[in-house]
Amino acid sequence: MRRALVLGAALALGSCSPGERGQGLYIQRFFGECTSDYGTATDVAKAEGECGIITTLINAFERAHPEARVSQNVVAWPGYSQLTAQMAARQPPDLVTMHSGVIPDYAGKGLLEPVEPYLAAAGLSPGIFTPAARQGVTWKGRMYGLPWDTHGGLWHINLGLFRKAGLVGADGNPILPRSPEELLSQGRQFRERTGKPYLIQSLVGDPAGAARILYTYMMTQGAPVFSDPKHIRLDTPEGRRVAELFRDVTREGIGTSNMDTPAAIAAFMNGEGGVYPTGTWMIGQFETEEKTRGRPLFQSYSVQPFPQLYGRNLMFVSGHAWVVPKRARTPAERQAIADYFRFMAARNGDWARTGHLPSVQAVIDGRQFLSLPHRRDIAVVARIGRALPDGVLRQNAIEGLVGEEMAAAITGQKPIAKALSDADRRVNEFLDEVQ
Amino acid sequence: MAADAVAARTRLPLPALIGVLVGAAIMLTPLVWTILLSIKANAALVGNSSAALSPPWTLQNYAAIFGNGQTMRWLVNSLIVSTGTTIGVLILTSLAGYGFARLDFPGRRPLFLFVLMGLAIPGQAVILSQHQLFAWANLHNSYPGLILPGLTTSFGVFFMTQYMRAIPRELDEAALLDGASHWRIFTRIILPLTRPAQSTLAVFTFLGSWNDYWWPLISATRSEMYTLTVGLAAAQMNYAQTSGLGYLMAQAVFASLPIFIVYLIFQKQIIAAMAGTALK
Repeated sequence: MRRALVLGAALALGSCSPGERGQGLYIQRFFGECTSDYGTATDVAKAEGECGIITTLINAFERAHPEARVSQNVVAWPGYSQLTAQMAARQPPDLVTMHSGVIPDYAGKGLLEPVEPYLAAAGLSPGIFTPAARQGVTWKGRMYGLPWDTHGGLWHINLGLFRKAGLVGADGNPILPRSPEELLSQGRQFRERTGKPYLIQSLVGDPAGAARILYTYMMTQGAPVFSDPKHIRLDTPEGRRVAELFRDVTREGIGTSNMDTPAAIAAFMNGEGGVYPTGTWMIGQFETEEKTRGRPLFQSYSVQPFPQLYGRNLMFVSGHAWVVPKRARTPAERQAIADYFRFMAARNGDWARTGHLPSVQAVIDGRQFLSLPHRRDIAVVARIGRALPDGVLRQNAIEGLVGEEMAAAITGQKPIAKALSDADRRVNEFLDEVQ
Repeated sequence: MAADAVAARTRLPLPALIGVLVGAAIMLTPLVWTILLSIKANAALVGNSSAALSPPWTLQNYAAIFGNGQTMRWLVNSLIVSTGTTIGVLILTSLAGYGFARLDFPGRRPLFLFVLMGLAIPGQAVILSQHQLFAWANLHNSYPGLILPGLTTSFGVFFMTQYMRAIPRELDEAALLDGASHWRIFTRIILPLTRPAQSTLAVFTFLGSWNDYWWPLISATRSEMYTLTVGLAAAQMNYAQTSGLGYLMAQAVFASLPIFIVYLIFQKQIIAAMAGTALK
């Protein structure tokens, strides 16, 4: 009896929880919490960084659409544990930020709504998005999210050191390698003239970085990374070629081998190397350094897509999207989602100030975007960017496994053939289990 | 004279004192480093974290924590959940401990063994069914949803049972002869004698609940129901370890302050528990 009373009291308390949500638009996102700086701000032009811009954009939407009754939930990066739990409890949000590589995991289980009806209601044609952005949200021919950006690997360059190494052209642009041999020769030249490593590589605890290199340079050789969505194929002549190149870079001291991400970022900002290959998301930080007098990158920063070392000009990319978890919705709720899509697509250019590439083709071609520093140099990524085949599940986990083995190959901890075959085996065993 | 002799006997020899000081310095360095980082502007730390060693220092990272309107709410949530869990555990484990240690009832041994089996089952093994159960009962995003799982502690039951078994049975027998009921024996005789064990269990339960991340992460999915650990993690931006290092460290200091206060209040019990004396 007493136990029943306790359970009854618990249930009553539970039903009185402040977490009850009404019928408003429930938005769940990552990118951090910065209400202390941007609490109710709606002037997007004054916002800085991912957190500032997204917070201000959502505030602005809330002001423009009070009928949507927005409630916002900021989750710990990347938030998929929480989202899965919410779906299991049948209480999913209405809109969620999601990496494009994760979309197949949820769409494949029927947990996401195709968004074409929302796009149509918002007056947005799928054709307005860049090919890379559209491919990122497409699974089995349907779009499962509003493409929000494209992000991929870039070469962040210290122009001052490049100049010292004689690697700046008459036009003021960095001279980048066009073949593996040129990469090695320019790297040696750089090291001899500056006494510093050409490449700052974050190979410790950053599997995504190593995987990005392998994926990109296999794609540029025309090698399919996956023979089919259930089987990866890295232990190939093309895969070995990439691993051997970067192992030589590291073995010769042209590239660093013992840095994690924070150390690599600090090293690049302190002028301790020529190139830091990392993503679009660091542009904002390095631009600040470029404008700060007295800093090593002051007026000496350039950023370029990964150089084309092999035949094709392609690059592995990912992206962020707004997805709609499946649940019953009223027409008003569906309209609120469509309104949100229209609002965000119209302000895609504001998001581009984070460094990520816009998902809307007109924005990427527009004067406003191209007038932002360095964006003219990297806009091509939206055209040459390629995601993994859309049937590949668990892309984040796979990236971890591949990156771990690739880093072991580059640093010489494992023979290349063994590292790549281990990567193949681990990924394929993993995919066998999840499918 | 005698006092001098005692002082001389308890004074550490110089090599041991040096060893203790070196050990203390090794233990304290990360804490001092964390505090120094927390009072330095993020921008100053991006390129060089050793900038924390030199001024100017600032409290702006702490201001940013309090500037987030929900921080105090998360703090209150953590206090409610940790206090609720601790009180619940003390009540339930004391009752269970009394039952297993002092009462004879059919199936007592198998039931006790069944409870002990819980020690061998990691929480992660039951997380899915637990989550589904709480979803079915509509308890997610609620205080009961955050408190109830913490009440099922096999260790607490075992701990209190063992402690109560060590109390002489003659006390119960004398009270029974005087006509006392089991409830009266439990509340008036046994419970007061278990205070050292209760204190130890309370401290560890509170610390465990305060630091818990996994269950609150998946049960409290609405930001107003976050506990402090989940809320502070959600507030971090991507690459916080580089572009928001000062803020990250301020969060760490802020989150550990209540624990530090608990330690100051209960340090005698914690030290006794660590030394194993609470069981004697």
